[in-house]
Amino acid sequence: MSSESSKKRKPKVIRSDGAPAEGKRNRSDTEQEGKYYSEEAEVDLRDPGRDYELYKYTCQELQRLMAEIQDLKSRGGKDVAAEIEDRRIQSCVHFMTLKKLNRLAHIRLKKGRDQTHEAKQKVDAYHLQLQNLLYEVMHLQKEITKCLEFKSKHEEIDLVSLEEFYREAPPDISKADITKGDPHQQTLARLDWELEQRKRLAEKYRECLSNKEKILKEIEVKKEYLSSLQPRLNSIMQASLPVQEYLFMPYDQAHKQYETARHLPPPLYVLFVQATAYGQACAHMKSSQPPRQDKTLSVAIEGSVDEAKALFKPHEDSQDDESDSDAEEEQTTKRRRPTLGVQLDDKRKEMLKRHPLSLMLDLKCKDDSVLHLTFYYLMNLNIMTVKAKVTTTTELITPISAGDLLSPDSVLSCLYPGDHGKKTPNPANQYQFDKVGILTLRDYVLELGHPYLWVQKLGGLHFPKEHPQQTVIADHSLSASHMETTMKLLKTRVQSRLALHKQFASLEHGIIPVTSDCQYLFPAKVVSRLVKWVTIAHEDYMELPFTKDIVEAGLAGDTNLYYMALVERGTAKLQAAVVLNPGYSSIPPIFQLCLNWKGEKTNSNDDNIRAMESEVNVCYTELCGPRPGHQLLTNQLQRLCVLLDVYLETESHDDSVEGPKEFPQEKMCLRLFRGPSRMKPFKYNHPQGFFSHR
Amino acid sequence: MERAVPYTVPLGQREVFQALQRLHMTIFSQSVSPCGKFLASGNNYGQIAIFSLSAALSSEAKEESKKPIVTFQAHDGPVYSMVSTDRHLFSAGDGEVKAWLWVEILKKGCKELWRRQPPYRTSLEVPEINALLLVPKENSLILAGGDCQLHTMDLETGTFTALRGHTDYIHCLALRERNPEVLSGGEDGAVRLWDLRMAKEVQTIEVYKHEECSRPHNGRWIGCLATDSDWMVCGGGPALTLWHLRSSTPTTIFPMWAPQKHVTFYQDLILSAGQGPCVNQWQLSGELKAQVPGSSPGLLSLSLNQQPAAPECKVLTAAGSSCRVDVFTNLGYRAFSLSF
Repeated sequence: MSSESSKKRKPKVIRSDGAPAEGKRNRSDTEQEGKYYSEEAEVDLRDPGRDYELYKYTCQELQRLMAEIQDLKSRGGKDVAAEIEDRRIQSCVHFMTLKKLNRLAHIRLKKGRDQTHEAKQKVDAYHLQLQNLLYEVMHLQKEITKCLEFKSKHEEIDLVSLEEFYREAPPDISKADITKGDPHQQTLARLDWELEQRKRLAEKYRECLSNKEKILKEIEVKKEYLSSLQPRLNSIMQASLPVQEYLFMPYDQAHKQYETARHLPPPLYVLFVQATAYGQACAHMKSSQPPRQDKTLSVAIEGSVDEAKALFKPHEDSQDDESDSDAEEEQTTKRRRPTLGVQLDDKRKEMLKRHPLSLMLDLKCKDDSVLHLTFYYLMNLNIMTVKAKVTTTTELITPISAGDLLSPDSVLSCLYPGDHGKKTPNPANQYQFDKVGILTLRDYVLELGHPYLWVQKLGGLHFPKEHPQQTVIADHSLSASHMETTMKLLKTRVQSRLALHKQFASLEHGIIPVTSDCQYLFPAKVVSRLVKWVTIAHEDYMELPFTKDIVEAGLAGDTNLYYMALVERGTAKLQAAVVLNPGYSSIPPIFQLCLNWKGEKTNSNDDNIRAMESEVNVCYTELCGPRPGHQLLTNQLQRLCVLLDVYLETESHDDSVEGPKEFPQEKMCLRLFRGPSRMKPFKYNHPQGFFSHR
Repeated sequence: MERAVPYTVPLGQREVFQALQRLHMTIFSQSVSPCGKFLASGNNYGQIAIFSLSAALSSEAKEESKKPIVTFQAHDGPVYSMVSTDRHLFSAGDGEVKAWLWVEILKKGCKELWRRQPPYRTSLEVPEINALLLVPKENSLILAGGDCQLHTMDLETGTFTALRGHTDYIHCLALRERNPEVLSGGEDGAVRLWDLRMAKEVQTIEVYKHEECSRPHNGRWIGCLATDSDWMVCGGGPALTLWHLRSSTPTTIFPMWAPQKHVTFYQDLILSAGQGPCVNQWQLSGELKAQVPGSSPGLLSLSLNQQPAAPECKVLTAAGSSCRVDVFTNLGYRAFSLSF
């Protein structure tokens, strides 16, 4: 009830407030504002819940009053008007109350919004503050780590160990009582000690320097003294020469040679040193004999030392001049064509110029024949060449067919497979040649000597194909590693050539010089005879109709020597084209046969001719004879004669032809034919002396 | 100018020897594997090389696929003859026959399975075996060669029975499938017909005695034989001749001057090869249908690969006095050569 009354009272108040407001519109603003404030203040005082109750109540009342008015109006009547009026007034009051409540609600809403806004702003401010603080914290942490990571320079200094420090440093620096507990102080002290020590060492260094200076001066003085000694020694040496000669002491000679050797170009010098060393080593191995006599390898230097000296001194200047003149020449050639040829000639000569000094190597073989090798160095091409000559103790009767065997041009050809010494081993040379118009070195080898690969190796020059180098330097180890094999090969070559030479001399006269220790390879009676042994040209060999296979197999290179042998028996003529590889006798001579007897028979139309070829070419190992097998060619030819005998004697006799067989069978054979290809019994069995099939 | 001369690689001692060996090689025998994809060939150094026909014939064949997939030393002397069964490869040369398993060979594990030597009467020289012949019905292998006898070897028990009659060594054998009869031809110039069941000679044809085919300058020897029902073709010293066996009369004489070393029936043709680089194809009437040149100067063996298992490898291969085996994919021309 009390609430009811208060509600009633309030609308009254409001009404009283509202009425004057509506009634007196033109009152001053301050009064109006004051009323606004009062209403806002009122809002704080009132309870919204109760306002809601009041609102509900007012609405009910209004409904009720409306219903009553409607009721009254429908009933009609006079008293109704007054009653309606009364009710209308009541309604109006209620409407006022509603209005008031509406305003209050608006004010409340606005207030609520303001409050929210305010709170939000506060939150934002706090957030900002928080972020600032976080940033600060981070920065501080970074600073801390930076400080922690700071490296002082002293840490790099290598200090003496702690024990040593306490042991050696004077107490006024170490201050053990303070520093033992305090690492900072300790480090400082140790640094002090380090500084002290370094100062002392610097002092010592200075002392040493001055000492050195002093010693140097002393050396200078002594040197002067020694150089003054040289002329005197020289004169003594000069005086002792006759004595040396008298006593056969070659010390001075050797000394002189070394003196000259100093002027050799590097590759020749390498060769000189290595060859001398090898020669000495060989001599030492056979020390039982007197050393001078047994020298299988002797080395000598030839040529003018003065020229070599002259070449050495102004070397750089002259090169500069050359390049200048080159440029000039290039200009002049453009202007004056006619002199081109002459200039090119001069340039070629200059390019192919040899070093004035050359090296003579004399290699003595077992039978006292000597191989003279002269090594040259082509300065501008940076390659070495060699000229060879063979001399024997006994005068050689030179057979015509042996012309090329000992000729300086071919005696050393293909010492190593493929090394024919006609092309320059230095790849850079080709460009130099192009400049002066030299097509290939081949045209000049006769005059210059052959630039074999092994010569370069002996001189320590190496020209790798894969990695062309700017400068090739003479290398001692390369030379040393090739010296022994090469010397052995050279000796074998000379011996095999001499052996061939000897064999050729007989062969030309139709005699096959089978030695007694090879006699067992052949039957006692051989009827076929060698009638011709001549040398033929490579081109002629290539054009022979029956040598096609060898040419196609790549076995007929132009470094080989070619011969034609003719073996005869009765009307049968056997031609044999022979390829003699320079690697004889480790690489066998290769025979191709053509038999002229009842038609022309070669390996393409007669299996037995093919078998005969294979007997001499493939089964050559049994024909080598005693080592080193230089008799191979002779034995092969003799074997060929035997094979021809067997071939002819076992040829089946044609019954339809009248008369006796041309070649009666004299050889003992187990069987005449064997196998699908009807081979003849070509194999000779030594002690029993019969022929069988292989 | 320098380019005109063929550039030759410098050869060392070993290379020269190998080149010479290849140059003087003769391939005597060939045999196709049971699967039809491989060809075995034996040379005069006693080596057997296995070529892969399928690899060499495939569209992406390279130079290497024409080289042997495996080469092994089978005999000390030449390998004169080889035959294949569905599991084994038999090879024979100097006196011995050796058996190899195809499976093992293709796995490149080349160990002989067994070796047998027929009882020979001479001891001075071991006679060679020139021909091998399989008689599938009897499960036996016939060996013939230097001792003038046919040795029938039972493949189950390994026992030998000898058929004697030839007066010189035997070159070749041929089988008449219907009634197990074997033909042999030899250096003595006779073709002999043997009944295997009765183990005796039933017919002899001395070819050189017939004037129309005799060629005295070439000798009497019969180098090759082939049969087809009642027909037989043989050649060698005498001319290549087609014979009617029942009447023992020469029917056709083929005009070929050079001695023939191998002959075979193929469909309605006769293929023959011998001295000279060509494979000759004859009509039965004696007309020369074609001469197909090969790469060897002389041929010793022809091999027709007719294994039904590998129809894509159906080729004719010919080998002789070179290290090459010529392959003919059709009869018209040489396709390429396999090489040792």
